[in-house]
Amino acid sequence: MKIMVVDDEGIVLESCRRVLEPEGFEVVMAKSATEALDSFETERPSLFLVDIKMPVHDGLYLMRALTDRKWNIPVILMSGLNTEDTIAEALKMGACRFLAKPFTPDELLESVRQVIQKEVSHE
Amino acid sequence: MLHSTRFKLVISFLIVSFLVGGVSLFIGGHLLYNSVIREATSQVGLALNAADDVYRTHMRFIKLALDITTLGQGFRTAFADRNVADLSERLGRLALHAELDFAGIVLSDGKTICRLTSGQAAEYHLKAENPITRHVLENRLPVAGTAVLSQTFMILENPELAGRLQFSPLPSGDGEELPVGEKKACLAIAAGIPLYATQNGGELLGVLYGGVVLNQRTNIVDLVQKSFFWDEIQAKAKLPTATIFFDTIRIATNMMDETGNRAIGTTVGDDVRQQVLIRGKQWTTRQYYLTERYIAAYSPIEDIDGRRIGMLSIAVSESNYSAIQHKFIFYFIVATAMGGLIAIGMGSFLAYRILGPIHRLIRASREVSEGNVSPDIGPISKDMEIAVLQRTFTEMVHSMKRRRMESRSQIIHSEKQATVGRLAAGVGHEINNPLTGVLTYTHMLLRRKDLPADIRTDLQVIAESTERVRKIVKGLLDFSRQTRLDPEESDINRVTEATIKLMENQALLKGVNIEFNPGQDLPLLVLDRSQIQSVLLNVLINALDATKPSDKITINTAAALSASDTGHRGVEITITDTGCGISPDHMNKLFDPFFSTKEVGKGTGLGLSVSYGIVKEHGGNIRVQSEVGRGSTFFIWLPIEKQVEEHENHGG
Repeated sequence: MKIMVVDDEGIVLESCRRVLEPEGFEVVMAKSATEALDSFETERPSLFLVDIKMPVHDGLYLMRALTDRKWNIPVILMSGLNTEDTIAEALKMGACRFLAKPFTPDELLESVRQVIQKEVSHE
Repeated sequence: MLHSTRFKLVISFLIVSFLVGGVSLFIGGHLLYNSVIREATSQVGLALNAADDVYRTHMRFIKLALDITTLGQGFRTAFADRNVADLSERLGRLALHAELDFAGIVLSDGKTICRLTSGQAAEYHLKAENPITRHVLENRLPVAGTAVLSQTFMILENPELAGRLQFSPLPSGDGEELPVGEKKACLAIAAGIPLYATQNGGELLGVLYGGVVLNQRTNIVDLVQKSFFWDEIQAKAKLPTATIFFDTIRIATNMMDETGNRAIGTTVGDDVRQQVLIRGKQWTTRQYYLTERYIAAYSPIEDIDGRRIGMLSIAVSESNYSAIQHKFIFYFIVATAMGGLIAIGMGSFLAYRILGPIHRLIRASREVSEGNVSPDIGPISKDMEIAVLQRTFTEMVHSMKRRRMESRSQIIHSEKQATVGRLAAGVGHEINNPLTGVLTYTHMLLRRKDLPADIRTDLQVIAESTERVRKIVKGLLDFSRQTRLDPEESDINRVTEATIKLMENQALLKGVNIEFNPGQDLPLLVLDRSQIQSVLLNVLINALDATKPSDKITINTAAALSASDTGHRGVEITITDTGCGISPDHMNKLFDPFFSTKEVGKGTGLGLSVSYGIVKEHGGNIRVQSEVGRGSTFFIWLPIEKQVEEHENHGG
């Protein structure tokens, strides 16, 4: 299963890869929303892990872009600004889940697995 | 300048004073003039009566002199003997003593046997009627009075005098014909005494006559002038004049003409003739003679036959009285001018008194608008209205200052709050990315089975510490966002009472008295009870900490309009303590997060800051007034309905 992680912070990208790959997930990394959209066609990920706050185009932009292209892919939004307001806002935007930074490897895996399960049960 | 109050005030004073001055001058001058003229008129009338007396006295004197002469035995003998020489001599003596201009004796047949002066040359061809002897012979009684004597008569009687006399042309036209039958005549006062055969009566044998000519005779008019107008002579004023008229011609006067001579031969107007000669009235009038105005009184003179043939007159120049009037006007103008000066002075003084403080207030207002909130308005005026104005101004500036400081500290505070919020959000966000790395790698390492025990322990410390950092950052982020409310309709008095109950035991232990005065009929408020309770608790705890035993904490609730902005209706809770007060340095930081004056470990420094946030969330406000050493008062105002839009922190 291919997961695309989008974050301007290298350490976050690397952290996600280090947690997810040993668990059998294929991880593709993108440093910006633009890069993610560019490589989407070739990579065709099953799940997005997107940071909300990024320079130029933020995570919400990316989500709108995906919706516009009718690429119906589940998205997990992440943010360091992990207040209730932000969470509520993220879910309203159509994210499947909100992942507060910083997270432990267990929290990341838990979130990813739950989303996949939900997707599977939906299908 | 023209629109300045000072100028207007002075001008008003001036107008009032000149108006009053002018009106009094006009009315007063008029009244004065009228009364002076009235007075003068009556005085002239009196003078005329006196002149009349003088005139009659003269008449009586002539009659008396003649009478005494006829009584003398020598005269009677001489007359009986028709001793012309003796009689002539006696007549001469009589004329000398009585100052007669003419005198003579006429027999009952009309023949003149003796005259004062025997103008022989004329006597033979001249014949003239003697009105005096005619009157006596007709009436057989003594007579004294005024008589019109013809020029011919006078030539016969006293040619020397007749040569000097100015005879007057006889009047013609209306009025009675004068009984002379000649062209020219003069006026005289004369007397005639009948001469009888015996002393007690008997046959009328003749008449003794004599008199003085009035034409050009000055002694009568001058006597009147000198005796009656003594005051004017003393005052060197323009002398009133006395005049005897023959018909309308001045024949004896001390009125002067333009050349400075006596105005003999001049005439008066027809109005005088109408009033006095024709109607026979005593008449007073005001008239011009030459260039002057006179008050003149006239009384008619009748001759021995009862015909009005002349006038006696007194005239007073009005200039005598207008001098009084001029003096009056002068004094009045001086008084008005002085009034004007006083008006200017008073106006300026009043303007200074009133406008001085007002100018200072204007300057002070300008200073206030330029930012100086402690302007100098000078000493408080003694004028009540000005003092009220000054006090009101001072109060206004004070309350403005207070409001400004309040609102400034509120603004500063909310700015700080916002800055802290942004900072917390930013820092939290930035820290969370690297923290993700730390957490991930630490946990990845911990999953390895081949780790030595000591390294595992160390890694666990790192994991736990990172966990703590995560919580701190979470707390910071939570603080930066607005808390959500759980509002319901509540009775603020009950909420307050419940809060006080929580504190009662502590207060009792400390010996501090808590007093609660719930306001009556307060509206229900929609609020989060537990949050408001925590606000009240926070303030109460602070109050209790600030007090010492025997101090007092008073809590009031009352309906109140919002103090800060739009005047919304709401309820205010005031918590007053008599404690140590808050130092001015601390006033601005009071609601800052993490600010605390308490010992480390005793207070978190978040209480008031959180309280502030909660009250703001409810759309209310919280203020403090405090004085070091005397205590503090917290005002918590909450609206009936939430007015301030909840403002949320969006973002990611």
